[in-house]
Amino acid sequence: MPAGVTPVPLWATLLESVQGVNKTRNQDYCEVQGRGTAEEPLIMAVADGHGSAAHARSHLGSRFAVDLFVEEARRFGALAQPPGDERPPSLAWLMHYAEHAFPRQLVSAWRGRVLGHWTRTSSHEEPGVSEEHKVLLYGSTLIGAVLTPRVFAAWQLGDGELTVVDEAGQVTVPLAPAEADLGDETESLCTPKAWRRIRTHWAPVTAPWRAPRLIAASTDGLSKSFASDRGFLQFMAGLDDRLSAEGADSVRAVLPQWLARASRHSGDDTTLVAAWHQGDPPVPGPAVAPEPVAAPEPALAADPVAVPDPAAAAGTGTGPARRPEPEPEPAEQPSPATTDPAPPTDPHGRDE
Amino acid sequence: MSGMLDSGTLLTTDSGLRVEVFDLLGAGGQGEVYRVRTSAGYQALKWYYPACATPAQEAIVRQLVGRGFADDRFLWPLDFVADARGGFGYLMDIRPDRFKGLPMLFRRQLRTSPRALLKACLYTVEAYQALHSRGIAYRDISWGNIFFDPDTGDVLVCDNDNAVVEGDSTGISGTMEFMAPELVRGDPGVAPGTQSDLHSLSVLLFMLLMNHHPLKGRRELAIHCLDEAAERKLYGKQPLFVFDPQDQSNAPDPTEQATVLATWAAAPDSLRALFTKNFTAGLHDPTTRVRESQWRDTLRAVLDAVVECARCGKQNMTEPRAADPGTCWSCGSTLVLPPRLVLTTPPPRTEHHILLHRSSRVQAHHLDPEPARHDYGDGTLVALLTEHPQKPGRFGLANRSASPWTGTRADGSTQRIDPGQTVPLRSGLELDFGGARAVVRSK
Repeated sequence: MPAGVTPVPLWATLLESVQGVNKTRNQDYCEVQGRGTAEEPLIMAVADGHGSAAHARSHLGSRFAVDLFVEEARRFGALAQPPGDERPPSLAWLMHYAEHAFPRQLVSAWRGRVLGHWTRTSSHEEPGVSEEHKVLLYGSTLIGAVLTPRVFAAWQLGDGELTVVDEAGQVTVPLAPAEADLGDETESLCTPKAWRRIRTHWAPVTAPWRAPRLIAASTDGLSKSFASDRGFLQFMAGLDDRLSAEGADSVRAVLPQWLARASRHSGDDTTLVAAWHQGDPPVPGPAVAPEPVAAPEPALAADPVAVPDPAAAAGTGTGPARRPEPEPEPAEQPSPATTDPAPPTDPHGRDE
Repeated sequence: MSGMLDSGTLLTTDSGLRVEVFDLLGAGGQGEVYRVRTSAGYQALKWYYPACATPAQEAIVRQLVGRGFADDRFLWPLDFVADARGGFGYLMDIRPDRFKGLPMLFRRQLRTSPRALLKACLYTVEAYQALHSRGIAYRDISWGNIFFDPDTGDVLVCDNDNAVVEGDSTGISGTMEFMAPELVRGDPGVAPGTQSDLHSLSVLLFMLLMNHHPLKGRRELAIHCLDEAAERKLYGKQPLFVFDPQDQSNAPDPTEQATVLATWAAAPDSLRALFTKNFTAGLHDPTTRVRESQWRDTLRAVLDAVVECARCGKQNMTEPRAADPGTCWSCGSTLVLPPRLVLTTPPPRTEHHILLHRSSRVQAHHLDPEPARHDYGDGTLVALLTEHPQKPGRFGLANRSASPWTGTRADGSTQRIDPGQTVPLRSGLELDFGGARAVVRSK
């Protein structure tokens, strides 16, 4: 690339977190960075500190979790596509690393970080406090993802959602547990041998046009604001539509309002990070065996972006041409009087 | 994110079978697996990633399909499938739901028992033995390729598409964690084969029974990033067993690796001896590795010597034929040995010591001096320990075979036990199963 030319991002990223009502501090933490290239993999993470008295330092635990995930994810990206002429490892090796070594290293690093923090910030050593009790103070969930031109991998411990919209617009939550946690119980980095409980999503990118179009990680403050899983999936489909129709700047502008509304319904801190692919993927050529290739070149400017409609963002607009927009739907608890419209209708029936 | 094949894609196998892609079941290290519709119903289609769809891989798959292998322990490639774009894969049966992956076991997401795990080990050994006896090396034994039923111990070997005829040098990277050290190091002239399979098999057995990798002790904990270079050192250049009796520098960390300390302590000496041999001398001299027949005989004997703790009911592995069963791994109570059935097969005579617990069984393989396969299912049941319906605490041995037995009491009197009948258990009772003979001993 010529010197002085700023690379056009392949992915538009969104990052927003709002504090839950009646919460003394936001226990969530998040990060999104990178371009989805071999040199700069797309990395995103959200963590939700548990927040109760037993986890008094969980706002730090979530921050450590995200920071350490980013470090591990960078290392993973470098392993997936080493610089220079170094031979990349096989996908089989990389999958094994993602499923086994990565979770162990991440949990081990997090425990080391929180125990170090405890030692540094505790005025005196309390003999009766075990290592497990110290770690408990920092309890947090974690969702993180890495995308390189070669592979998309994601990890989750505890609640929250990793959402993927594929090139056909299909919305999936590939790391959803087989059985939902009961009540407010969730798996956590502070659980003994937590690496065993980390769920892994593994999806090699066999061709650029098979890569995800939208990747989002969110804490359960968002999903709990919907009365059903279907409502959450519709929100994500609407987010994808809105990004396609109006671009990332428009969505970025209204995202705080959406999350604030979700937070009012769920009562929880609410965080969303997302990355949306801005360009049209290359079209497969006829009768050519698909080979792993580098990610598509930076896209040209997207379609003209519609001016965001504040009324639409607030859910009160009635314009006939408006795209379905993300809109939290009240959960089962009594919600404040609202003029919220029904959840956006999904024109593609994607979550059916 | 979608897979390489879209739903509705139509393909035709080499044998002319029409295949319609239904949905993606999962992604692995070499390719993706789809559920497909065929005239025979739903089947599975493995489709290789472009980088893995090499001519060498195609040759292996075609050879495996051509060879055929009608064995219910394997999901064998049944038919070759290719598209017009250079992609290919193979058709196989869908794995039944009852078979679970080992990662679920290691994450404690399965409820199973020592008996089921021992059976799974025994069945795994025999499955690979069946391959090796046909001159086929599996070459990629790892926890990702074997599934087991946590209730019965039945196993199913999947991803058989790296198996080749012994001596074929077609490359396969395998999973370093399971690879023989000489392969990890890349020693000149060394190729994956049945000898290196024996190392991988021992790793798998250790992980099944001990819930831990045999070479991952303190040294692994000191590694910040387990990249390829670190793995090569850990598994190839400087492999050291976590329970090496001569060198404790890689012993398990008592906090971080407490599980393996507990499981090792609960294992009987005969099993520990095999693991120690394999992961000390066997790491450096492949010819000293434990053979399948040694694993089979030891696992079978330990399985016959499992006892329930009288206090907490947990199953304990005890040393076969030992007089002292030790203490319960769970509650620490002293274990009590029940009476045993000492069974001797026809020549070449093999002696089995079957501890008589509430659900003890004599299977057909107990009567055979050289059984080709062990099977603990109902279809091969010969005898079953049963409790007297009106007299709790009194037990008998029910004839579940199709042939009558002859019983000889301690006083010399004889009794015919027809199929369906039960003979009361008495110390000194001798039974003739029609070739194999057994005697009940109180200790």
